[in-house]
Amino acid sequence: MTVIPVAEVALPAEVAALRHLESSTVERLRHEALTVPRNWVTEYGDYQNGGWHTLSLMNDTGDPRDVTIRDCPRPRPTALLERMPAMQELLAGLGVRCMWARLARLDHGAFLWEHRDYGELDEVERHRLHVPVVTNPSAYLVVGGTKVHMSVGRVWRLTPTSPHGVCNRFGPSRIHLIIDCYADAAFHDLNQGDAAAAGDAARMPEPSQSVLDETVTTATGLAELGYDHAAETALLELFYQYALAEGRAYDLIADMYAGLHRDDDAERWRSKKNVMLGLA
Amino acid sequence: MNSTRLLDDVAAVNLPRQFGLLEKTVEVISGSDAVHSLHVRGSLAAGTADRLSDLDFIVAVHDPSFGPFIRIIDTLMSAELGAILPGWRDTIVARMGGLGYVFLVPHEGKLHQIDLYAVPVSRLDTVLAQTKAMPVYQSDGEHSQRHSQVDWLINSTLERPYTAQELLVEILVLGHMIRKRITRGQRYVAYAEMFALHTATKNLIKTALTPGSAFYGWYQLAEEIGATPMGRQCLADLDRLISGHPIPTADDLTAALTTALDVAERAAPDAVAGLRTAISAYWHYLELM
Repeated sequence: MTVIPVAEVALPAEVAALRHLESSTVERLRHEALTVPRNWVTEYGDYQNGGWHTLSLMNDTGDPRDVTIRDCPRPRPTALLERMPAMQELLAGLGVRCMWARLARLDHGAFLWEHRDYGELDEVERHRLHVPVVTNPSAYLVVGGTKVHMSVGRVWRLTPTSPHGVCNRFGPSRIHLIIDCYADAAFHDLNQGDAAAAGDAARMPEPSQSVLDETVTTATGLAELGYDHAAETALLELFYQYALAEGRAYDLIADMYAGLHRDDDAERWRSKKNVMLGLA
Repeated sequence: MNSTRLLDDVAAVNLPRQFGLLEKTVEVISGSDAVHSLHVRGSLAAGTADRLSDLDFIVAVHDPSFGPFIRIIDTLMSAELGAILPGWRDTIVARMGGLGYVFLVPHEGKLHQIDLYAVPVSRLDTVLAQTKAMPVYQSDGEHSQRHSQVDWLINSTLERPYTAQELLVEILVLGHMIRKRITRGQRYVAYAEMFALHTATKNLIKTALTPGSAFYGWYQLAEEIGATPMGRQCLADLDRLISGHPIPTADDLTAALTTALDVAERAAPDAVAGLRTAISAYWHYLELM
């Protein structure tokens, strides 16, 4: 395995570490998150490899299993949130105008592939808040070639209209409270960035040509044996190891299939790149 | 609903948790026409499996595809099953004609051991004659012809010395095995595997600090390794390691792994850096066993 040097850096503009949370609050949130939710929903299958599950806490139907995000100006608590008093207290305390709130569980080995969010919603300004409840060092967000480990004990802001991806390479499961909210005075009060803890952000290295060649060779070997999914995964994972240009991982997959004279598969991945990155 | 069906439902929910991983592994590996068949062996084939048992597979690969399969095995296991470390080239398994690899894979919140014994189809009968095994997958294809390059590939792989990172993986895999022995009360095997962990740590020091050593095994360590302050520190750690209880407790194992990782950090820092987050996850799972 190649040693990949990373350099600690300031947080990218798309991410901010906001308010600190009391450790007792975090402990109550963690207890609830690990004991109350059941029957997690796996949604957005094209965007992930199967290990990302959610349940809604605030939406317009009150159904925790209704997890497909849409504009939702008047959300109400779901049956799940009614059984989670610490979550209720936190949501009320943040004071922001919530569009949707959900718990997201990212299992070991799970990836949300490089994508942009909010593409399907209208132009109303929105922001996404993350409250990490359970995490580990191998769970991180990648945006603009920088990996950000959202540590527990803070409220974080993510602007998801930039290409980003999330992974939990080795586990245990990561659980975040994710709140999509409208921009208003309460949000702007909350959105006062502070320095992240040391180690929370690191710039990833540019990939050398030999690294790209070696990975493509391995992926091609997998595809030639019929392990297409593993081949695609090996190339998509480059986004989490190296600072790649936008959509480069998708291009590498399309090129791999083109090299194998599998033109339909190459075209499928070119189209998928456009959908994932909102370029269509 | 009849009582047989109801009992089947009860049995299903009481299956050892690794049965789900067994199904998933079979599904993943059999996804290639290059794979001729899959057998399980060990406790699964003997009917003695418990919730800590590893999953032992024999993977028969058509001879022309054997080399390509070996080259992608780490990436396949990582991408599809979430193996936290590269496969350890197993030196405990008997030499039956193929290549053995051990992977550590999280499943339902616990870390499980998957042993893959890859064998060219031309040698499958020889392997099956040496071990009790049960088929779990058989392709429809014909047997491929014997391919002369597989002998060279297997022999050269077995003879290739380990890198420092491979030895670090060996230490971690052995730690996982020993933890299981402790839980089961298997004192003799725990003793043997603890000695293997000590040996792997010694080998890591030698590989990192005296890669061209002409001395065998444990001989001449003080003269070769102890010639520098860093080497003496590594030997002091090694001395502490081998001075522990021969039959370890869980606390002894934690202390031994901590020392071995300290040694690795000092002698082969790049090897540790490449696996740092995986090692963090490894500790988490080890505590849950």
